[in-house]
Order: sequence, then structure tokens, then C-alpha cells
Amino acid sequence: MEDRTDGRNANQLRPLGCSRNILNRAHGSARWSQGNTIVLAAVYGPKSGTKKGENPEKASFEVIWKPKTGQIGKQEREYEMILKRTLQSICLVNVHPNTTTSVIVQVVGDDGSLLPCAINASCAALVDAGIPMKHLAVSISCGLMEEGSIILDLTKSEEEKLKAFAYLVFPNSPLSVIDKVHSSKEEPIEHGIITSVSYGAMPVSGYFDCLERGRAASAAISEFLRRSLQKQSSDDASRAAQ
Amino acid sequence: MDVDTGNMTQTNLVDKVVVPGDVVLDLTKMENQTIKLGSGLRQDCDYISVMQAGKLRLSKPNKYWVESSQKRYVHRLEDTVLGIVVEHRSDNFLVDIKAPNLAFLPVLAFEGGTRRNIPKFETGTLIYARVVKANGIMNPELSCTDASGKAAEFGQLKNGYMFETSTGLARMLLSSPTCPVLEALGKKISFETAVGLNGRVWVNASSPDDVILVSNAIMRSEFLSGTQQRIMAEKLLERLQKS
Repeated sequence: MEDRTDGRNANQLRPLGCSRNILNRAHGSARWSQGNTIVLAAVYGPKSGTKKGENPEKASFEVIWKPKTGQIGKQEREYEMILKRTLQSICLVNVHPNTTTSVIVQVVGDDGSLLPCAINASCAALVDAGIPMKHLAVSISCGLMEEGSIILDLTKSEEEKLKAFAYLVFPNSPLSVIDKVHSSKEEPIEHGIITSVSYGAMPVSGYFDCLERGRAASAAISEFLRRSLQKQSSDDASRAAQ
Repeated sequence: MDVDTGNMTQTNLVDKVVVPGDVVLDLTKMENQTIKLGSGLRQDCDYISVMQAGKLRLSKPNKYWVESSQKRYVHRLEDTVLGIVVEHRSDNFLVDIKAPNLAFLPVLAFEGGTRRNIPKFETGTLIYARVVKANGIMNPELSCTDASGKAAEFGQLKNGYMFETSTGLARMLLSSPTCPVLEALGKKISFETAVGLNGRVWVNASSPDDVILVSNAIMRSEFLSGTQQRIMAEKLLERLQKS
């Protein structure tokens, strides 16, 4: 296994950072960083009224992606569409029908794994705004090397070198009071998958390997997200006392 | 014995921070019990799961809810809120209460209200009202009278200063016994406040200095404990030599 440029091993993620409630005017906001990839997400809503093409019996989402530099083009529209469909599937859309929730994503730094970072940031911002959700989403990027080994959390240089890689979004692992024995006949919720975007050609076995590794790593990110949501209340106390 | 362990697992998440997706109650283990669910929880077939992140609370014997603080408000029946008039239609005022929908305030919902003495509220008027109809989907309806039809402090709030807070801070200000910051300020300054559960607070006092002092003290007290609030309020009062 060759060494990665920043010295990580194949399964190691970059340092994660998450802070919430950073924007004063937004109803919910979060900043998520994975190494040098930093994304700021803001949520406004729910506001009344839906756009023309949307179903008024459900809450609708509108995503605006703002790149760090340059004009908005096809790549941004694609990210907006993927993010919108991911968020629609994790949020409960029947609680506030005929409303629109806007999610604005601002790219602050791009060093690979941009879409997973944005999905994680949007999920944290939605939690901050109190939008009703079924469960959280955690997202990770996996790349397939030539000899068939998988590396996680790609940087920009790795994404450009690799033949194929995928961005995967899994539901988080929930805390539950149900005995594990009782529900062992059903698949645990974290075995599902919400979104998968693949770039390049990879063999089917390679794709399934990516899924396995990604799912295992998503448990770590899910744990980090839970801890940062819990720490928030005690953080605020120390922040406000200054 | 089974019942004991069942009860322990049911309540081991109470007073802990939960995130959306966590399952907090297993209804198959609780038979013949009525459970009341508050905000942030929903029923998913046989389980009760969490919709919003926050602290899970239990009020014995059977009320569960998730305590969380947001910048927006979800309308609930019998909440007192501060609204801003947005428009005047023929038979009701449209009022913004920071909820997903605009609220309606019927033109006659005032003490002694008839078609002849409809109040003239312009756009931007601040109103203290009570939510009388709130089913999540339709626009909520407000009223400026209490249950027996009397005015009871509802209506337009004149002068003073209104600022926005989170719903958590509004709940803390309205808690009983009296919130420590309000108590500490009330000992030295005379002021009146109206707190809306939708995250709006109105403060009025005889001089602008007092209004600013009280508003700042309230805004700063969100994450402080009782003693810290008292100390903070006293420091502010000292600085302006009110003590």
C-alpha cells in the first residue's frame, strides 16, 4: 500500500471540526471542516409558501450552492440537486406542509471530498435550526486504487489521480432503548444508504468494498457528530460567561 | 424482574441529549399506559423516536418531550406570543409570529369588539396575543382576550423596545419561580416586560438608559446559571451607578 501524500493510512480520516450557531441572522448554521475542506451551511425556514413545481402537501427544500470562486455553473447545479434530494429523504416533510426551507452552502476551502463535507455541514445546520428529521446523515468519500485497495476521505490531489471514487451518505447510528436481541431480525438502520455518487469506472466488487469501508468509517463520523451536538450546550455556557 | 429491566431501559435516556433518530420508548413493552408526547417526539409504528435534537425530559407520570431552543417558533395552543402586524384584511389582521405560517388575528377578538370599534393597527404594530387555534397545517389564529373574554393585558404594546431571542431564553424568562436576572434587575429598576414564547421580548421603562440596561442584561443571561445571572446584573447596575 503506497503512502498517501499527507501521511495518513488507508482508513484514516482527516481531523473533523464542527461548530454550530455561528451566523446571527440564519435560523440554523454550521461550519464543518475535514482537514482543509471547509464548508459553511445556513438554513432559513420553514417559511410559508412553496415554489411552483413543488408538492404543496409536503415541505419543500431549496438549496443554493455558492462556490469559493468563479461563476455558478453545471457542477454547482449538480451539487445542489444531490444535496436537495439527500435532505428531502432525511427530513420529515409532512410536519409542515406548504413551507419552504432554504439551505445555503458556502464553500470556504476545497481540498477534496467537497460534497460529503457539504452534506455533513447541511445536516448539522438543519439540526441547529430545529427542522424535524427522521435521522441524521453522515457522508464520506471513498476511492479505489489501481490494485483494488480502498482509501477514505480523499484530498483533491488524490481525487485527481484516482481512476474511480465515490461519495457515500449513510444514516447515523441511533441510540435506542430497544434491546438489540429483540430487533436482530431486522437490519439495523445504519446498514441503509441514502445517497451514492460515483465518478469513474470501477468493478462491482470494488464498489461493494467501498460501501463496506465507508459504512465502517461512518460510525466514527456519526459518533463525532453526536458528541459535537451534546457538547454545544456546555460550550455556550462557557462562551457567554466571558 | 422483566418489568423492572423494561422500566429501566425505557427511561435511561431521560435528561440526556438526544439527536434525531434516537428511539426513546418501546411501546410494545408498555401496555395499557397512556403516554403524552410533547414537542420533538413522534410515533413511528411501535417506537417513539426523536425528531429534534435536545434534552429528553419526563414529567411524571407520563409526559415526554424534547427540550430544545430555536430561533423560529412552532405554534402551540394557549401560548402567549408577541406578533407584528403585517397586513390588514377585511376580517382579520395578518400577524407575523416567527412561525412557518402567518397568523390570523380576527378583527373582533378584542374585549368589547364590535364592527364599529375595530382597532386601527398599522403595519409594524406590536401585539401581545394568545394562540387560540393551532393545528400544525393551517394558519394559526390569535386572540387578544383571555378565555373569559377580558382584555387581560393583551393588545397593542406601545413605546418600549422589542428584541428577538431564542425560544429557550423566552421559556426561561417565563419560568416560575421568577428568573434570577429579572429579579435582580427588579430590585433596583422599575420596568415592565412582555415575553412571547415565540422568542420576542418587549421591555419598557421610564428612561432609555433603563430600557437598554434591562435588554442587554436579558440578552446576556441566556446561558448563565442563576448565581451568574445575579452577578452579571449587579455588575451592570453598578457600572451605571444605580446601586
